[in-house]
Amino acid sequence: MPSLYVHIPFCQRKCVYCDFYSIETVSLMDSFLDALETEIALAAPAGEGVSFDTLFFGGGTPSLLAPRELERIMRSFRSAFVIREDAEITLETNPGTVSPGKLRDYLSLGVNRLSIGIQSFDENELRFLGRIHDAGEAARCVGLARDAGCRNVSVDLMYSLPGQTEGEWERTLSKALALRPDHVSAYSLIVEDDTPLARMVSAKLVSPNPVEAEASLYERTMELMEEAGFEHYEVSSYARPGFRSLHNSAYWSHADYLGFGPSAHSFWRPGNGEPPLRWANVPAVSRYCDSLRKGGSPVTMREEVTPAQMCNERIFLGLRSSGVDLRGLGDEFGLPADRLALAGALVDDGAAVLEGGTLRLTARGYMLCDEIAARMMV
Amino acid sequence: MSAIRNFCIIAHIDHGKSTIADRLLERTGTITPREMKFNQVLDDMDLEQERGITIKLHAIQMHYTAADGDTYTLNLIDTPGHVDFSYEVSRSLAACEGAILIVDASQGVEAQTISNLYLAIDAGLEIIPVINKIDLPSATIDTVKGQIRDLIGCRDDEIILASAKANIGIDDILEAVIRRIPPPAGDPALPLRALIFDSVFDPFRGSVVYIRVVEGTLREGDRIMFFHTGKPFDAEEVGVLEMKRLRTGELAAGNVGYLIAGVRDVHDTKVGDTVTAAAHPAQSALPGYKEVKPMVFSGVYPTNAEDFEDLRSSIAKLQLNDSSLVYQPETSTALGFGFRCGFLGLLHMEIVQERLEREYNQNIINTVPNVEYRVTKTGGDVVLVDNPSTMPPLGEVAMVEEPFVKAQIIVPVEYVGNIMKLCMDRRGVYRNTTYLDPTRADITYEMPLSEIIFDFYDKLKSTSRGYASFDYDLLDFRESDLVKLDILLNGESVDAFSCIVHRDKAHDWGKKLCGKLRKLIPRQMFDVAIQAAIGSKVIARESISAMRKNVLAKCYGGDISRKRKLLEKQKEGKKRMKQVGRVEIPQEAFLAVLSMEDE
Repeated sequence: MPSLYVHIPFCQRKCVYCDFYSIETVSLMDSFLDALETEIALAAPAGEGVSFDTLFFGGGTPSLLAPRELERIMRSFRSAFVIREDAEITLETNPGTVSPGKLRDYLSLGVNRLSIGIQSFDENELRFLGRIHDAGEAARCVGLARDAGCRNVSVDLMYSLPGQTEGEWERTLSKALALRPDHVSAYSLIVEDDTPLARMVSAKLVSPNPVEAEASLYERTMELMEEAGFEHYEVSSYARPGFRSLHNSAYWSHADYLGFGPSAHSFWRPGNGEPPLRWANVPAVSRYCDSLRKGGSPVTMREEVTPAQMCNERIFLGLRSSGVDLRGLGDEFGLPADRLALAGALVDDGAAVLEGGTLRLTARGYMLCDEIAARMMV
Repeated sequence: MSAIRNFCIIAHIDHGKSTIADRLLERTGTITPREMKFNQVLDDMDLEQERGITIKLHAIQMHYTAADGDTYTLNLIDTPGHVDFSYEVSRSLAACEGAILIVDASQGVEAQTISNLYLAIDAGLEIIPVINKIDLPSATIDTVKGQIRDLIGCRDDEIILASAKANIGIDDILEAVIRRIPPPAGDPALPLRALIFDSVFDPFRGSVVYIRVVEGTLREGDRIMFFHTGKPFDAEEVGVLEMKRLRTGELAAGNVGYLIAGVRDVHDTKVGDTVTAAAHPAQSALPGYKEVKPMVFSGVYPTNAEDFEDLRSSIAKLQLNDSSLVYQPETSTALGFGFRCGFLGLLHMEIVQERLEREYNQNIINTVPNVEYRVTKTGGDVVLVDNPSTMPPLGEVAMVEEPFVKAQIIVPVEYVGNIMKLCMDRRGVYRNTTYLDPTRADITYEMPLSEIIFDFYDKLKSTSRGYASFDYDLLDFRESDLVKLDILLNGESVDAFSCIVHRDKAHDWGKKLCGKLRKLIPRQMFDVAIQAAIGSKVIARESISAMRKNVLAKCYGGDISRKRKLLEKQKEGKKRMKQVGRVEIPQEAFLAVLSMEDE
C-alpha cells in the first residue's frame, strides 16, 4: 500500500507541546509551494509503475492552505504520480482555520478524510496547550466537515494533561464522541525535548502527571472507546469498523511511502534486492526552498535499513498496531527461541493473544507496549 | 658485601613512607627532581597513587657516598602497608637487615605500624625510628617520642626527627642506615640460596622474580631451580633494580635484584620460595615459606555472559602479577558462568575488582564477600564452604565453625565507648585494653572475621572521626550459630544473594536486604515477591507491584527510525540486567548487601 505524505510547515501559532517541525512565518508559503512543486516533480521517476493508495497532508497546519494552494499541490501530485481513484486523502485540520466554503473546496479537490485537531473541550486546557481555537469552534468544525460532505472524520484528543482528573478527561472524551466521529486518535501528553512545555517543566511551572495517573486515564480511555463501539487498532488510535486510517496503517505495516516538504520522512524499497532506504528532508523551510531552487536535494539524512533493523521495526510497529506476524518474521529473519517463550508468557499474562502465528497486544499489553517491544527486539 | 645495606620502611598509611622514599632517591641521585612525574615514585600503579597505599612490593637500588667517604649500595625494599598483605610484608622483611620506622609527628603510633614493627623485630631487623612531619603545627614530638620509646625501648637520641616535605633529616636517615644497619652476611661461595620476595609478570619475558641472594652467587646461564615447586629453569637475565632493570649478569650473596628465567607461570615463582642451583642445590630452603591462604571469597561474574572467556583470560593475566589471588570456575543460576575468587582480605578484593575493571576493561558483577566456613555434617564429615550456595541443607548440618581473628584497635580514649559498642554489635569478645599514653587506648577483641569483612573498617573510621586504626590476625575456627539465608524472587531462590549469617541477626538482615532489593529492582511486567528465608521458613518479605505503563503515545509520523532508536536504547538498558526466572535484576542489586548499613 504505497503512500504519499506532504508536510505543510506553517502554523498560525505553535502549541506548547508540539515538536513537529513548523514555523509561524506564513509569508514563506509561496516559496514553499514553489519548492514543493519542484520536489514532487523530481520524485516522479521513483513512483513510476506504482499506484498510490493514500495521500496525507500533515503539519504544521495544512488547513492554513487556501483552496487554490491545495489545488496547486494536488495538481503537482497528480501529474507526477498515479493516485488511485479511491485513495484515502487526509488533511489535518485546525478548527481555528476553517470556514464552510474552505472545507467544501478541500473536498471538491479530492480530500475525503479530515483529521481535526481538537485536543480538548476544556477551555482552560486549550489555553494551556496554546491552541488557537476554543471548545465551541472545535465542535462546530466537526459539524462543518459533515455539512461539507466529509464521510470520514477523525478527531485528535489529548489526555493526561498536568493535573487533569479522570472526570475532566471523560467530559472531553464524551463531548468528542457525541459528535459521532468515525475515528479518534487519543494521545497522552508527551513532554518532548526542546518544546515550551519542556521548559515549563524544567522551570517547575508545570509538573507532568505521574505515570500511575496516566496509566489509569489510558485504561479508562480504552474502556470507553470500546463501549462506544470503536476498534482499538493502534496504541492511540480507535476507529469505527471500516474507518481505520489507511495512511497511518501503511507506516505501521512497513509499506513504502514518499514524504515531501521540510522534515518529511520517506521509506522506500528500491527493489532488485537492494536494501530498503529511509531518508528525511531538512527541517527548515528556507534551506528546503534554497536547495530545491538551486537544483539540489533537501535530504539531510539517508540510511540503509539493515535486516536486523527491519526485523526490529516490524516487531515494534506490529506490537503498536495490529500485531506481529511471528511466523513470517521467523521465516524471514530468524527469531531467537526465547522470543517465542516471551510471546507465550505474554499470552499467559493476558497481555497478548496469538492468532495464526500473529501476536497481538490486548489492552493490558498496549499499556506496556514499549517494554514488550524492547524485550522482543533482536 | 660490607658496602651493602638492605632495608625497608615501616609506616602507617599517610605517615609519609612514600615521600621519605622519594627524598632518599633524590638525595642519592637515583632520580632527579625533574624525573619525578608524581610525588611518589615507588607507587607506580594508578590505583596505588589514588589510594595512597603501596599494594605490591617493589625494590630499588641506590648508591650513596657517606660521611666516611665510602660509597654504599643501598637496597630499599618497599613493603605493602595493609593488613591483608602481612605475609608479603614478612617476606620482604626477611630480605632486609634493617627497617626505618616512620611515625607521623601528629598522629603517633597506629595499629598497623605496631603489627608490622613486631614482624620486623621478630625478623631480627635493626630498627631506625623516624618521626616525620615535625614541621607541622600539630606535631607533638615529645608524646610520639614517648610512644616509640615504650614500643622498641630505644633512647631519645636514637630517634631521628625529619620532614620529608621540608627536606629535614634525610641525611641523618641515610647515615643511620649506613652506621646502624649491619651489612648482610652470607658466603658467596656456598650453594645458591636466594629468597623470592616478589614477582611481576612481563608479557615478553615471563615472570620477573625479585630476589635477595642470601648465600652463593647467581649468574646468567646458571641452571636454577625453585625449591618448593622443584622446577628447573635457565637464568636468562640477572641484574639489579634501579629506576629500570639494570642487567649485571650476576648477583652475589647479600645483594638484591631480579632474575628472569623464562618462567611462563607465575605460580612457579612463589613469594617466600628459595632459588637454588639445579646441579648442586642447597641442603635446605630458606625458612618462613608458606602457602598464602585466602581469607575472603567472592564470586566474580561477567556482566554479559558472552564475555566469560575474556574474563577468564583477564583473571589469569592478573594473577600472573598477583599470586595471592586464587580462583576457580563456578556457576550461578542467577549469574551464569563465573569464578569464585579467594582474596587475602577485603582490600585485596577491592583492588582485584578495580584492576579487572580498569586495567583489563572487564565489566564484572561481584557477589557479596564471605569467609570460609568449616561445616561438620550430621554424618561426621567435615566440609569447607567458601560459597553460601554450597552450604549443605539445614538438616545435614551438625555444626558450623567460622574463622575468628584477634582485632587490635588503637583509638583516642574519647572514642573507646563507640568502638566497644561497634565491636559488640559485630559479635566481638572483649579481651583487654592497654594505654599507649594517657590519651590513646589499645583495645583487643576477638571477633568473627565475617563481621569485619563488610564495612567494619568504614564504621570504625566514622565512629571515631577517622582516628581509630585497626589490625587483625587470624586466631582459629570457632563454633557459631550460623544459618544460611536465602533470597527468593517469585519463589525462586537467587543463589547470588544467599549469605551465611548468625541466627540472631538473620531476621534483621533479611528484612533489610528485602527492603533494599525492593528499591533496587525496577518494576517488571508482573508483581514480584521478594522473600528472605532460612530453609523453608520465610522470615521477611517485600513486594514490587507490576509496572503499569510503558508506552509512548505517538510514533512520530513517518520518523520510524527515531522510535526504533528509542526502543533500542531501552533494550540496551535491559542487556545490563541479569535475569533470574523472568525477573530482571540490575547489577547494583548484587552489591546491595555491601552497603546494608547505610539505611
